[in-house]
Amino acid sequence: MKTIPKGAARYVIALALLALPPLAMPGPAAAQDVAAASAGNFNPPPCDYSDTFYKDNGLDPTQVVGRFGTARRTGPPATGNQVNWVADSTCATNDPNRRNFRILATTGGFPDDGTGSPNDFISILGFVTNQTAFETTYSRGVGSQQITINGSQNPRGIAAQDVVSNFEAYALVKQRLPNGVFATNPCQADMASPLAPATPCFQLNNVNTVFTPNLRQDWRFASNRNAMDGSDNNCISDDPTVCPNGVSDSPFGYFCDDLLGMWIITYVWYTVDPANPGPVCGPVLQAIAARNGLSLDGSPIIKTADETNNQVEANGCGAEGQMALDGSDGGAIWLVCPAIPDPRNGAIARDAFLDQVRLPNGAPQNPQMTANFLSLQRTGQFPGGGNGS
Amino acid sequence: MVTAPDVVSRREFLGKAAATTAAASLAGSGKVFAMRKTLRILKWAHFVPEYDGWFASAAADWGREHQTKVVIDKVPVEGIGAAATADLKSRRGHDICIFPWPPAHFYQHAIDHTGIYQEVASRYGAIPQLAYRSTFNPQTKQHFAVADFWMPSPLHFFQDYWAQVGMPLGPVHYGALRSGGRKLRQQLGIPSGLAFSATLEGNVTLHTILYSRRAWLLEGHEGVLFNKNAFAFEALRYLQALYEESGTSEQLTWGSAGNVRAMLARKTSSTTNAISLLRTAEKQDPGVAGQILLQPPPLGTAGMGVTALPHVTNCSAVWRAAANQDGARQFLADLIGNSRQGFEKSLGCNFPIYPKTVPDLIVRLSKDAQASPSYKYVELKDALHWTPNLGVPGFASPAYMEIFTSSLVPRMVQSVLKGERSATDAASVAAIEMQRIVSRWQQA
Repeated sequence: MKTIPKGAARYVIALALLALPPLAMPGPAAAQDVAAASAGNFNPPPCDYSDTFYKDNGLDPTQVVGRFGTARRTGPPATGNQVNWVADSTCATNDPNRRNFRILATTGGFPDDGTGSPNDFISILGFVTNQTAFETTYSRGVGSQQITINGSQNPRGIAAQDVVSNFEAYALVKQRLPNGVFATNPCQADMASPLAPATPCFQLNNVNTVFTPNLRQDWRFASNRNAMDGSDNNCISDDPTVCPNGVSDSPFGYFCDDLLGMWIITYVWYTVDPANPGPVCGPVLQAIAARNGLSLDGSPIIKTADETNNQVEANGCGAEGQMALDGSDGGAIWLVCPAIPDPRNGAIARDAFLDQVRLPNGAPQNPQMTANFLSLQRTGQFPGGGNGS
Repeated sequence: MVTAPDVVSRREFLGKAAATTAAASLAGSGKVFAMRKTLRILKWAHFVPEYDGWFASAAADWGREHQTKVVIDKVPVEGIGAAATADLKSRRGHDICIFPWPPAHFYQHAIDHTGIYQEVASRYGAIPQLAYRSTFNPQTKQHFAVADFWMPSPLHFFQDYWAQVGMPLGPVHYGALRSGGRKLRQQLGIPSGLAFSATLEGNVTLHTILYSRRAWLLEGHEGVLFNKNAFAFEALRYLQALYEESGTSEQLTWGSAGNVRAMLARKTSSTTNAISLLRTAEKQDPGVAGQILLQPPPLGTAGMGVTALPHVTNCSAVWRAAANQDGARQFLADLIGNSRQGFEKSLGCNFPIYPKTVPDLIVRLSKDAQASPSYKYVELKDALHWTPNLGVPGFASPAYMEIFTSSLVPRMVQSVLKGERSATDAASVAAIEMQRIVSRWQQA
């Protein structure tokens, strides 16, 4: 199987950095880091939502576990002297739906556009571990109008749970146990695949299991993030002359319906030991590893939906599942994790840091993701002015 | 499901049909009816009797306007396939046969319905995807039927039951359907109520579960895909776990609408069905109806998203042997124009194929006079987005529809749930049978 050549990471990042202009001297205060942005930097960096905005959109903010701005100031994904968030009075000014805590921890991932490009950047604001976090009734007056939730449904007749469960974030946690055994099923019995024995198993019983140090590779995010102008070829018309291949997408648009930027977590795992995959899965895993390299537990890195569904799962080499909605499995069911709509032009602040999976030697597992992040942070553009692919 | 009181059995129907034919022959010999045409319609009995009452009345009105005597024969939904076959064998049967599913395997006996779609296009727009992929035969390049309405298949669940196991908003994915269902049976003694029997409900439910777990039956170009990957085995094992942990043996033996009756009696915690279930509850017991909530189908696996096949795709076929083809074509075109009334008379069960015929559909779903709360049905507002055609990822082909109507899938699943076959063996046997069906149609 192919592995990432030694030094490749440093080589790619070095090339990217050579193309960058010198980094401007950062200001001492968090707000200054944002305010110092040039005139071309018109995208504000991400901040946590206000309590009111959470409630208006059907989620009880007190049930957001590990909420940035309230908890997890240090610790994963921050390391060393890093902090995950800072107080910043510009947040609510830039966007009144935000509260004044700016997010520095910027998690990288693969958008599900089939390219496997590491150009998606998100802010994991917190976790939802129980269905009861979704409001069933709520009302707030706004001028002469009322924002109401009745029977879990907002004024548009949509239940928040229904919206956010259309958007899947794929978590790929380490399957290798401390004793070196590669576990081929999660310990959550309802999730266990019939393709592999139930034990030995790997645990998903708390939100920490999706913290970056416990991931074997970076996140992948589902493709149904519809562009409102249809520019992503999303097809939602039932007119065959418009959509000859049929209605192909979620009824909801990520940026226009899922206003909290939430995702349901779909855990994806291998049901075979990559060291002994057998005659069917061996060639499958080898082909993916040759393209993408190996993850931290020795299994091939999965970057696309095609690899997940049509190669790994279709051949019985992997499976996927979600947590029980009553919280009995203990882990994260949903992420409050808004994707940065456009990471260019100031959205990646100068004091932000990239949260990505790293090799044991500290080098990034995906150097191109690092290069993309650094370029965005320093120039406001992807390397070479491209799209990070 | 509600059955109309005037529904006839297949045997009764055949007798009636013969009698009707004889009567018409006699009438045709008289001078009074010498200039009068006859339009004979065979249709499945709608779940909402009010709809069939309206249909009969509207058809009679249409007949008066077109100097045509309209004769309607209804058969129970499960008997429509056999009745249509008998109709064709008699060669003196009906002009139109109305099915609750795409009658693709009858295409050799049906006229090309493209002209009907073309006629209504000027009023209601191009043929929508669901109708196109449900009634078009890519081999013949013809439409073997015309679709006028469809019914979505949402999940119905008892909010009070599910609240007791910590899921008051219902099971949003199949894993939760299983884990919540198990707790409900353990704690309350209430099993889950998906239909696994050889009925319309059982077929729609099981085809949906297979599809939503990427265990596709046929490829777009009609090759058998089932059991050529791991998804079939995985789906069957899921169903086995769901049944063993949360089900009841009655799921395997329910007749038509058995899942509906179980829900109405509050004997089960959830099921998938057309909203005729909830409508019946509203009429029979508002207290029960008040506890039933709807939600879109559970989230599938392997990238399939939220999806469910239609409970009904109402398709009308004009037989080539029809004596009154022109009248039949006109009747069906006009029927599409009556979709708004059809929606109302079916108590909102019949979603129009042409959205323009009921342009305020979402408003109506948002404020329903019978529902409590009134916005309960708004969960269906995006149903068209999560409802593909029977036959997906391909068209509703003759082979697929034979697989569907022969209940091959429920039989396969039952063999696993009863312990007669392992999931591996059942999938293998079913795939062979599917291949046999496909091969026969390829030679047809």
